[in-house]
Amino acid sequence: MFKKDHIDRPVWVSPVASFVMVLSLFTGQALSQQPAFAALASLASLASQTPHKIISLSPSATEDLFAIGAGPQVIAVDQLSNYPATAPISHLDAFTPNVEAIAAYKPDLVILNSGATKAASIKSALQKLKIKVYFESAPTDMTGAYKEIAELGALTGRGTQSQKLIRSMQNSIKKVITSARKKTSISIYHELDDTLYSVTSETFIGKVYKDFNLLNVADAAAKADSYGYPQLTPEYLVQANPALIFLSDAQYGTSAASIAARPGWSTMKAVANNHVVALPEDIPSRWGPRLVDFYQFIAKSILGVN
Amino acid sequence: MFSKNRREGIGEIWNWQITATCALILFIVGALAISFGPIHLGIADIAKTLIGMDGLHGQERTVLLDLRLPRMILAALVGAALATSGAVYQTVFRNPLADPYLLGAAGGAGLGATIAITNSGGNIYGWLPIFSFLGATLAVATSFFISGRFFAEPNTLLLSGIAVGSFATAIQTYLQQRHSNALRPVYNWILGELTVANWSIVSWSSVYILSSIAVLISISKKLDGLLLSDEESFSLGIDPNRLRMIAVAAATLATATAVSASGLIGFVGIVVPHLVRGITHRVTNRSLLTISLVGAAFLVVADLGARSLLSPAELPIGVITAFVGAPFFLFVLRTRRITHS
Repeated sequence: MFKKDHIDRPVWVSPVASFVMVLSLFTGQALSQQPAFAALASLASLASQTPHKIISLSPSATEDLFAIGAGPQVIAVDQLSNYPATAPISHLDAFTPNVEAIAAYKPDLVILNSGATKAASIKSALQKLKIKVYFESAPTDMTGAYKEIAELGALTGRGTQSQKLIRSMQNSIKKVITSARKKTSISIYHELDDTLYSVTSETFIGKVYKDFNLLNVADAAAKADSYGYPQLTPEYLVQANPALIFLSDAQYGTSAASIAARPGWSTMKAVANNHVVALPEDIPSRWGPRLVDFYQFIAKSILGVN
Repeated sequence: MFSKNRREGIGEIWNWQITATCALILFIVGALAISFGPIHLGIADIAKTLIGMDGLHGQERTVLLDLRLPRMILAALVGAALATSGAVYQTVFRNPLADPYLLGAAGGAGLGATIAITNSGGNIYGWLPIFSFLGATLAVATSFFISGRFFAEPNTLLLSGIAVGSFATAIQTYLQQRHSNALRPVYNWILGELTVANWSIVSWSSVYILSSIAVLISISKKLDGLLLSDEESFSLGIDPNRLRMIAVAAATLATATAVSASGLIGFVGIVVPHLVRGITHRVTNRSLLTISLVGAAFLVVADLGARSLLSPAELPIGVITAFVGAPFFLFVLRTRRITHS
């Protein structure tokens, strides 16, 4: 606990902390239970442990940090962390992190995504520089998303706020699902790009659809990709005839009109009934507090589709 | 064999029955390819629809005429283009390892495709064909320009092609690193795919591919002269440099078109020419038509695998061409060596 592993710790902390530790060793637990000493000890541990120069290299973690009130402790976020608007966006790249560029900010905590290029060696290089690293792996379900919020809360001294956020998210999402969940399942197709890549119910986003009792046509190809992102054949999609289509490539120009022009698609239920929904740009890929917005968006989209 | 050729004259350097057999094989695999898919279509109905009689209706008709048929034809065109230009490159460079992507075409097309993909996000097929076509032709043109008058030495052109290709690949890799969302589409494109085949792609690519193949077949007799030394071919009345120029230009046009329509499908350009030459024991370029037919049939079968093996998911076609092609190629190489020794 009091090892010299934090370079930005005030100089007085170490002697004070050592003094407290040595004292408590001699006197057993008794001394530290004295109010004055306990306060001093927790102050020492707070000063040495609570990061106040955080770099977030994950747009989802950035949203989490600001939602639990740890925003003022964040000194820089990666170039894709565009939410909230007050986040200190920088030129740091989350996908190909540069250890020196990160170290130049003199951070005391770096949030690094495990999907980054050479993430493991970046992590050990940062640790060699005595910088604490929170290794974030993309969650595969809501439980994972909540776990990340709770862990970030514990790390940043915002435990209470993070628990509060989790409870409010759980309540809102439960409410949305109860009111919008389909009694009889409808079939949906989620398009990643115009080469017909899709998501199965094994993915985070697929599980959101499942919560609403939507039948994902990509599930038939679940065995094709172990991460749940198969590329569907055009003929299968025509055969599957989904009742609702979600376009996550709408921001790149794919639209109801452009998919209707594909051979065999104009007679598809979703296209014929104009149930083609353009997904918003960032929300579906941010596993943070705005997941509530995503649930509400899906609820609105499936309204009236049978 | 020698005595037979002598008896029947020079016209029998190539046995045209082999060509006819290959055309028949292409017809059969083409028929197979349009008969299989997630939606069941009756063979009789397919035949009726194709000859204009009352067969399939509605959605089934669309599936046959707008999904399966253009995809099968595009596979055949691309296969023919890659196999034929591979054979021609091998002759021109007197190098059995030459393939259609050698002169920087792959690197250039890859760069063009990556530029298109990184700037278009999920709407991948908007600019991709044009950019990869331009990338491939520009890269080959640059290789020519750099090697300049040293073109008399094919190895100089070959080396400058490799340099141009690496240069383009370096920029491509840089762009990919800067746009991580483009990684998967670019990767997929590199392995080749025919998923978005439609009649407009088929129609423009058929113009370029068929005319290039026609040019190459028309000069096939002269190309045999390049199998000799430049002095010898010159004495036969062939201008080797001019001939190489025409051959490489036509082969590049075919390759660039194939690449822009379907991505970088590997191994067809090497395996098919060697397969035909290995089985028939003939190295003449009069086999070009046969090579193009076999290339077409090979890719039609490979694409049937690409859309069936993981159905209803797709498998990149390049995986199949190399997975099936490489062992078969080794087998042919081995049996051929045994018969020679």
